[in-house]
Formats: sequence, C-alpha cells, structure tokens
Amino acid sequence: MVLAALAPYVPGPTDPFDPHKAAHLLRRAGFGAPAADVGKAVTEGLEATVEGLFDEAEDEEERFQTTFDAVNQDLVNFADPSQLRGWWVYRMLRTRAPLREKLTLFWHGHFATSAAKVEELELMHQQIATLRKHAWGNIRDLTQAIARDPAMLVWLDGESSTKEHPNENFARELMELFTCGIGHYTETDVQEAARAFTGWHRDGAKFNFVADAHDSGRKQFLGRAGKFNGGDIIDILMQQPATLTFLARKLLRFFAAPEPSAAVVAEAAELLERTRLDVKWFLRELFQSRWFYSDDCRRTRISSPVEYVVGTLRTLGVRWPANEAGNQIEAMGQTLLAPPNVKGWDGERAWINSSRWASRLEFAKIIAELNDNSAFGATLHLDRIVPAETREPAKAIDAIVSVLLQGELPDATRRELTEFLVTTDDGSRNLESFRDDDDFRQNRLRGAIELVLGLPEYHAC
Amino acid sequence: MRRREFLASSVAFVSLAGGVPELFARAAEESARADRNDHALVVLELAGGNDGLNTVIPYENPLYYRNRRTLGIPKKNVVRLNDQIGLHPRMAALGELFKEGRVAIVQGVGYPQPDRSHFRSMEIWHSASTEPAPPSTGWLGRFLDASAPDGEAFPRGLSLTGSIPQALQAAKVVVPVEAQLTSFSETSGNPASALRRKLSAASGAGTETGPAGFLSRQADTLYRTADKLGQSTQSYKSSVEYPGDELAQKLRRASQILKAGLGVRVLFVSQDGYDTHAGQADAHGGLLETLANALSAFQRDLVEQKLADRVTVLVFSEFGRRVDENASGGTDHGAASCMFLVGAKVKGGLIGEYPSLEKLGEGDLIYHTDFRSVYASVLERWLGCPSKPTLGKPFPRLDLFQG
Repeated sequence: MVLAALAPYVPGPTDPFDPHKAAHLLRRAGFGAPAADVGKAVTEGLEATVEGLFDEAEDEEERFQTTFDAVNQDLVNFADPSQLRGWWVYRMLRTRAPLREKLTLFWHGHFATSAAKVEELELMHQQIATLRKHAWGNIRDLTQAIARDPAMLVWLDGESSTKEHPNENFARELMELFTCGIGHYTETDVQEAARAFTGWHRDGAKFNFVADAHDSGRKQFLGRAGKFNGGDIIDILMQQPATLTFLARKLLRFFAAPEPSAAVVAEAAELLERTRLDVKWFLRELFQSRWFYSDDCRRTRISSPVEYVVGTLRTLGVRWPANEAGNQIEAMGQTLLAPPNVKGWDGERAWINSSRWASRLEFAKIIAELNDNSAFGATLHLDRIVPAETREPAKAIDAIVSVLLQGELPDATRRELTEFLVTTDDGSRNLESFRDDDDFRQNRLRGAIELVLGLPEYHAC
Repeated sequence: MRRREFLASSVAFVSLAGGVPELFARAAEESARADRNDHALVVLELAGGNDGLNTVIPYENPLYYRNRRTLGIPKKNVVRLNDQIGLHPRMAALGELFKEGRVAIVQGVGYPQPDRSHFRSMEIWHSASTEPAPPSTGWLGRFLDASAPDGEAFPRGLSLTGSIPQALQAAKVVVPVEAQLTSFSETSGNPASALRRKLSAASGAGTETGPAGFLSRQADTLYRTADKLGQSTQSYKSSVEYPGDELAQKLRRASQILKAGLGVRVLFVSQDGYDTHAGQADAHGGLLETLANALSAFQRDLVEQKLADRVTVLVFSEFGRRVDENASGGTDHGAASCMFLVGAKVKGGLIGEYPSLEKLGEGDLIYHTDFRSVYASVLERWLGCPSKPTLGKPFPRLDLFQG
C-alpha cells in the first residue's frame, strides 16, 4: 500500500515543528511570518497553531466596520476602485485572522469578478464580503451565494438572462471554472443549465428572482432530468467527482504546491468528499499533513504580489498606507478587484517578468528606507530587527536573515552580506564605521534588508 | 510557424507533399514582412482631449469663427497648409515638416457613438475596441504578442511614461517602463547594485527547476536589459539640441534607444494638459508649440542618426473638443478630431475631408474615418503585421506610407 501523502504529520523529537515549518504554515495560511508569531507557533505546537488559524475575535468584523464607516466619507470612495482596493489591503494588513483574508483572496481568484465590468463598486464590495463570510465554510453554500451575488449577475450577464433568451455565460463558467472543469459536460448541459438560471436577476444590490423570466420547464442535465432551477444545478455539480478533483487541485495549488501530483490531488479530492466540501475541515487536515511540510511544498511557490507586499509589511511590522500598498501590488501585476479575466490570475511564474521583478525590487528599496521622517509615520523600526547593541556584523546579518527567512540562507550569501555591512562607498573595509558610526550602520543595515528582500529565495514562498 | 523553425524543419517537411506549397507561401509572406521588421513606431498620446479644431484650422470657414468667437485663430496668423487649412501659429516647426512632406494629417478621425469620458474614450483608443467590455490588452501589446520571436531577449515595447499604458498591455510579452528598468543598470550608482547581482546569480546556481532558479534568471534578464538601456545613453551622440521640456527629452531618449539597435519596435510617449476647459488660448498654444518643436527636433535627430527611414511617429488624442467654445474661454469634451503621422517614409499631406462644421453630432464634429483604419494601416504597411487579428476585425486601410 502506498503511504498516504495527506496522512497526519505528528511532530516528535526527530522531526519537530520547528521555526521553519511554523513559518511555512504561517506564510501559506496568512501573509508573511512575523518572528513573534513564529515563536508562538513553535511554543504552542502544530495542532494548537492550526486551530488558532480559525480563531477569530468576536469583534473582528464589527471593528473593521466601525473603521470603514469612519473612513467611508473620504478614503473609501466608491467612485474609485483603487480606494476600495486599499480598503481590502488594509484589512489584510490589520486582520487578526489572516487565514480568512487569505481565503477571501483565494475565492476572489476563483470566482474572478472584475470592476472593469461591474462598475458599481458597492457590488464588488458586497461580493468580497460574501467571499469573506463563507471563506472557510462550505463550498456548496458559497457557490450558491455567489450564483445570487449581484456583482456576479452583472459580471456574467445573469441579470439579462430570460426564458426567451437564456444567456449561457454564467452557466458555462460555473462548470468550466467554478466547479467540474472543462471536459466534464456537454454543450447541451451548458444550454440546459442556462435555462435553469433564467430569471435570476437583481434589484439594485439585491438578488431578485423574476418568476416571469424563469424557465420552469424540464431540463436534462448531466444525465438527470427534472424541473431544475439554478440551485439544483449547483447541487448536482457539487456531487460530481470531477468537481471534487477540480476544487481540491485548486486549493492545493494555492495553499500547498504549484504542481501537485495526480496521486495527491486524488487524495485531496477524497478528503474534500469526506469533509463534505467544508473548507475548514479540509485545510485543518491539509495543514497537519506530512506532505504539507515536505519538499514538494516548502518554498516551491512564487509569492503573489499580495503575499509579497502584505507579507513583508506584516513581517517587518511596518504600518504603511494601504492605498499605497495596493498600488504597489498593482504595479507588480495583481490588480485586486480586477483580475485579468474570469479565470483569475494564472499565478506562479506568470507573476514574474523582468519589469515586475523591477517593481518588486523597488518596493524592497522603499520599505528598507522608511524612517522616522517618512510620510504618514510609516517607519521601519530597525531596532526591532537588529537590536541596537548588536555591533557584530555577522550577528546583525543573522538577525535580519532570521526575521525574513527564518535563517534559511546559504553561508556564502550571509558572508557576502556581512562584508557589505563593513564596506564603505569607496570600496574599503571599515569595521569601526559599522560599530561606531550610527548613520553608517543604519545605512548599511537598511541596505542589507533591501538586499535580502530582493533575493530570489525571499520570493519563493 | 516562425522563419527559423521553418528553415530547420523544411527538410523533414519536403516529403509531405501536401504541406509544402502552403509552407512556402507562408515563408514568402514572412520574408516580405521581414524587411519591415526593423521599422519602429513611436506613439505620442495627447492626454486630455486635444482641440483638433484649433490645431488644424479651417481658416476660410466662417462657421469656425462664428463658433470660436474668442478662441478663433485669425486667418493671418495660421501656418498655411493649403488655401483652406492651416496649423496653429505656434506649430510653425511642424509646418516646416509638412512642407517637406513628412507629415500626414488624418482628418475627421473618431469612432461610432463617441464617448466623452476621458477614461472610457482612452480605453477605446488604447484597446482599439468599442465593445462595452473591451479586452485588457492594448492594440500595441497585441501586435507585440503576435510578432514575438521565440526566446525574446529584449523587450520590443517600452513605455517612456511613468506606467504601462493600456495600449502596451500584452498577454504574453514583457513591456516595461523604460525609466524603471534603467534605474537598475550598472551605471545607476547604487552601492548595493553589484552585490545584488552577485547574490541573485548565486541564488539561481544549482536550482534549475525551483522558483529561486527561475526568479534568478528573470532578475538576470532585468539586469542585462537595464545595462543595455543604460549604455544606450552613453554611446549616443547628436548635434541636435532638443528643447529642455519633458516631451522633447522623452523623444531624445527614444532616439537613444532606437539608435542602440536593441530591437525595440514600439515606444510610448505622452504629453498631458490638453483638457482645456478654461483659459485655453495660452495653454493650448503652449502645448502645441512644445509638441511641434519636440517633433521637429526628433525628426532632425533621426536624420542625423540615420534612423529617419525606420521610424514613424503617430500622434493621437482620446477625443476632440466641442465646436462651440464655452463661456470660460475654453472648450468642452467633443468627438472627432485629427491624427498626425510624422516621418520620412510617411506619405505627407492632408488625408480625408475636413469634417463638416455645419452638420454636427450633439455639437461635435462627426467622424468619417475610424481611428482603427489608421491603426490597421500602420500595422500592415509600417509594422508588417496582419491587422485583423490585432484589431479583432478588418478595417479599410489608408494610403499613409510611401512605397
């Protein structure tokens, strides 16, 4: 019998849940891995840490809502998508339950809807809220909610689909991209499903079922027959084995490994069936599986612009304006609320080209240089990364590498970075300057942080 | 199939009788296009909606003066192009180029159901689509995608503005912001720059398949590209003195990049400030003077660099302005306007009729030439690329180039 990849990982003295594994979990389940959180995770252990990911303060939503209401007047302006983008980034930066935001992002890429067509930004705001609400709930419930979501009704033309003129857009994407995937349905299934969703309209920002526009006749769908409505169609799709495989693979690609093997996908599909499409159950098992901590998964993904920017800001404890962060994320190729098309972002290698790499390096520079004089009081507290009393260059590099990479960096690279700390602009070596000249020391430490943020290793998430 | 692949595989294909003629036909077509493969296009956007009526002036038309009571340019001041039409007085430098036959002015350009929103109309011009949900790519980006050679080493499109305009958005190829790349060149003076490269190369060593290896190679491409762009500044020499303004300096940068022979086909430049709702007379004149002088310096420089036969400039704006001036000494958003093509290989002259000032559409000039006809002509006749796949449908082509 083949050893199951998703069999539980039980930490022990020979294979402890160490800072590397803890940081891996935190990066995947959230944004970045602040040293304090890594330390806490190691102390509490794997099981408690995974449970903790789903812990949410009761007032979390309420507190964000209070802030939203307060800034809605000027900052979050529904005429400008970049403001709403900034608001979401703000939530990612400040949330105490990063996994919920991470999943919201996952679902945004899955049910990829764009403000480019849904011009009423309130609808986009509302859709993101729906994704957030169901983030780690049941996928069936989420899909049912999204099928009735006004932004989706605009995005895939459901609002104009009538008995006389069924629009196939939503029905097709529902199958091709949201559930079973291409090859598991026929054109007739698309047409029949489209009939079932006719009359699913909206009244402003509310779902509105228009009975007169609905085709209540018999439909043939995926080998079944009945007077199906849209809800029935989704229920039938959710029972398809292909849907389980499709969704399992997508979840694995986002949370675990860019190219999971067919065997692992099959196991994950089984898990999804066993957990009845419950995301929380599924992730709980995945995050405690042996495979999740293997070389198949660790440092195998390329961080998305959101992961890079939000992760870095959280890891370094920098409070930077969320709008600005949103703009940086956009420059790196990820425009929140405007995925390139209904397929969402391709991700992985598609995130990077030379120009986007330049944008990532620029961000590294901006962040490394933030000081007490920077705008909006956004500052990089150098002392929290390298204590003021650390005057030994090698120790200073260890501190930086520990915060940003949990120490995962070859010795040769560390030596180069150490050398950089004591090299003056004219190329000569001057240990005293680093020890005694605070301005020089700060300048070099910031330079080293910029360099580490710009290392390919740092972007392998 | 690309040329190289064809040559490499032709031996194997000879035995497949049926496939050969088609292959040869395609190869012949490709070689006809190949001689246009060194043609470059500089696209210059006049952002804000240029007042075409006060740029190319129908100075014999009384309706012009009736509508432009204060803004009308007196007949005696216009730079005459013929006995009916002339340029704004501050565009004398462009008038010279026109006389030399290096400027084509396409009149009455627009698109059906004109949209008077800057954002929306720009989107239409950039995407070359009037669909309600236009593609996120741009017409130039799609050209670059369609003509991408295998293993493209250097970006063939560059934006000389601060961001990537939608026109340059591509699905496959990389289109960078030039200044951003150049800031990573060897000569940028960043003390950590050399070390960054060294560390980045080390990260990639021995990890051919992992993300770090891939990222390291992407970074390497960035540094090499940046260096070439950096060097292009140093190797360039010219006796032409460009004006000091931003637009002229951008065109100077374009000349440096084109001279460096890096294979760049498309450059994008923008001049802002054309949204002249109030106090238009001075502001608009200043913009046009800057534009004309910059274009003139660029043309002289291209001649000196021996690039004149290879480079065409296309000038466009998202819309023209209302025929009737407003009460603030300005003009409001309009519809049809004019486009310029400037270059030694351009067939100079006025293309098409001046749009009627009598028969207007909601107070605006009515277009007779779809802007995508100009795009199609530039794609086919200048860039050597089939226009239909790039523009989504066929458009009649105009006679804009020599030979």
